[in-house]
Amino acid sequence: MTPRVSRRNFVAGGAALLSLGALGAGNALAQDSRLRVLWWGSQARADRTNKVSQLYQTKNAGTSINGEFLGWGDYWPRLATQVAGRNAPDVIQMDYRYIVEYARRGALAPLEAYVPAKLKVDDFDKSQIEGGSVDGHLYGISLGANAAATVLNASAFEECGVDLPTQATTWEEFARMGAEITKAGKRKGMYGLADGSVNEPLFENWLRQRGKALYTVEGKIAFDLDDATAWFDMWAKFRQAGVCVPPDVQALDKNDIETNTVSIGRSAASFAHSNQFVGYQAINKDKLSLTNHMRIEAASKGGHYRKPSMFFSISAQSKAVDQAVAYIDFFVKNPQAIEILGVERGIPESAAMREVVAAKLDPQGKIALDYVAGLGDLVGKLPPPPPAGAGEAELALRSIGEQVGFEQLSPADGGKALVDEIARIVGRG
Amino acid sequence: MFLLPWLIGFFGLTLGPALVSLYLSFTNFDLIQSPEWTGMANYVRIATADPKFAAAMSVTLTYVVLSVPFKLAFALLVAIALNRGINGLTLYRAIFYLPSLLGGSVAIAVLWRQLFAGDGLVNAALSQFGIEGPSWISHPNYSIYTLVALSVWQFGSPMIIFLAGLRQIPTDMYEAASLDGASKFRQFYKITLPLLTPVIFFNAVVQTIDAFKAFTPAFIISGGTGGPINSTLFYTLYLYQEAFGNFRMGYASALAWILVVIIAIFTAFSFLTSRYWVHYDD
Repeated sequence: MTPRVSRRNFVAGGAALLSLGALGAGNALAQDSRLRVLWWGSQARADRTNKVSQLYQTKNAGTSINGEFLGWGDYWPRLATQVAGRNAPDVIQMDYRYIVEYARRGALAPLEAYVPAKLKVDDFDKSQIEGGSVDGHLYGISLGANAAATVLNASAFEECGVDLPTQATTWEEFARMGAEITKAGKRKGMYGLADGSVNEPLFENWLRQRGKALYTVEGKIAFDLDDATAWFDMWAKFRQAGVCVPPDVQALDKNDIETNTVSIGRSAASFAHSNQFVGYQAINKDKLSLTNHMRIEAASKGGHYRKPSMFFSISAQSKAVDQAVAYIDFFVKNPQAIEILGVERGIPESAAMREVVAAKLDPQGKIALDYVAGLGDLVGKLPPPPPAGAGEAELALRSIGEQVGFEQLSPADGGKALVDEIARIVGRG
Repeated sequence: MFLLPWLIGFFGLTLGPALVSLYLSFTNFDLIQSPEWTGMANYVRIATADPKFAAAMSVTLTYVVLSVPFKLAFALLVAIALNRGINGLTLYRAIFYLPSLLGGSVAIAVLWRQLFAGDGLVNAALSQFGIEGPSWISHPNYSIYTLVALSVWQFGSPMIIFLAGLRQIPTDMYEAASLDGASKFRQFYKITLPLLTPVIFFNAVVQTIDAFKAFTPAFIISGGTGGPINSTLFYTLYLYQEAFGNFRMGYASALAWILVVIIAIFTAFSFLTSRYWVHYDD
């Protein structure tokens, strides 16, 4: 993905710069009324966000908002260099994975002083507000909730005469379904499942059903050798039995919607997040459906959680924190804004706004909303924000999982390597 | 005065940042907080406690050692063929040069992914012969070779230089040789190659440095991960991951300076050995 700035914003930004120059940079008024917003995402997200910004501008005369967006991969280098160059945008879209990293380094402004007077988040889910907190300070306002999910190619299941899994389905049964689909061979090169061994949210879900987690509250590793070995062992058996795709097919998946094995027609099921469902259905001709991750045993529960899909944070360097707070409040609490945004960033955290959005959803958005709302006993507590180094740890799971997949490591050796590597990464901080 | 723009560019955009990065390589710098002096710690970690450094170095050396000779040999072959004075030479030159122009581009790397993926064109062609190929770009045993192939395919710029070199060789030498009964093959070994050594030398040095710095194809093809299993973890890609993925700009600066030293050693070595095999007439 290449960086994209909408032409209008680019021109507007340039014009704002020019006018600033004309007024002299010392003019505090002109500077304060200009807000920079940065986010990652698709063109569809940008269109919705820019519409909300325009709406905000019409309601707040004298404020100009410059929005800018990039793809996920380009976003983090850009943000890091902007923060380093003391040129960070005022409003920053932040991910659960990185919020600790940025907050602990002093790059984000604490927002708890604005609650509840300026940031009216009182009808938010409590745990979702905690999700944006680091070391007792509030650094991010959740823009929506989502949950890890299994994406199913319903058409493929039907062709093979296999019933779709339900909320009660266990991994054992799911594996049988996968093997059946592979064996049916209705479509060239299609297997039952994606190889989920390298998928961190899936691994986390499985760990939580075992009563473990990825990280402790203190940010230490929260699973052990037995867990990791059993995980790799399960997937090694799946590969052998033809339940899931071979490792060289799984390695084509670059962790995005376009290269996912369901999207490229190589598996009938794979693993994603609920707010991506709209995107998946958009590029798949078959009928897709969304379900939970399987249970490790019939009685196990609590693997899932409602995750803040992303936050808005405010830069600690911002000279317009008050305006930025007002903008964010508008973004999550204004009914008109919510109607524009839909569930593209996840399901609104505000109970009142959920009602606003539910009335006007398209079918795919409705599926995502119903899925998150209907998880039942599969939902557990929100885990603490991942520690610094979590991004690196995810890559480690991927790399070691691949070594087991390509049989360069046994499941037991892979388990040991994973525990050692993640302990080392989070230990370094 | 007329040099001023160049001087500003040189000090502001080349020397300045280089010196800053040298300083940063002795610090712990996370891009957000101020750098913190740590002395040789980064270099010590590279040398003693970084398995990924070794992996990245081995991938990069494999790439350099394979891609440069193949690319040069291929470029020379095509140059000789084109030098035979065929009709429409300029057209062919342009066509063969095209991949080099597009070379570093994202589009070509994406195209390469399509060609070598499991259900790509390459496997479609193989299946005509009843061979079921793996997904070349996503299998750790083969992925690096697809990148070498991509590099060899971009032989255009050394080819153009070879072509210019071939044009410099006086034709009367070949005429004299064939009067003496020397075969085409012998003429190539006794006349073409020796007279072309300065050009070969130049191309080899430039291509080697380029190969060390390769980044885009691996970045695109592996989605920035260097995978599967670090098999396409080019040195520059690892450097990029450390700097912008893991917020270790100081460490990445140290990695960058080690790359500078390695390239310098390779180049110096080429120059030292060149006196034994490069012939400059008169």
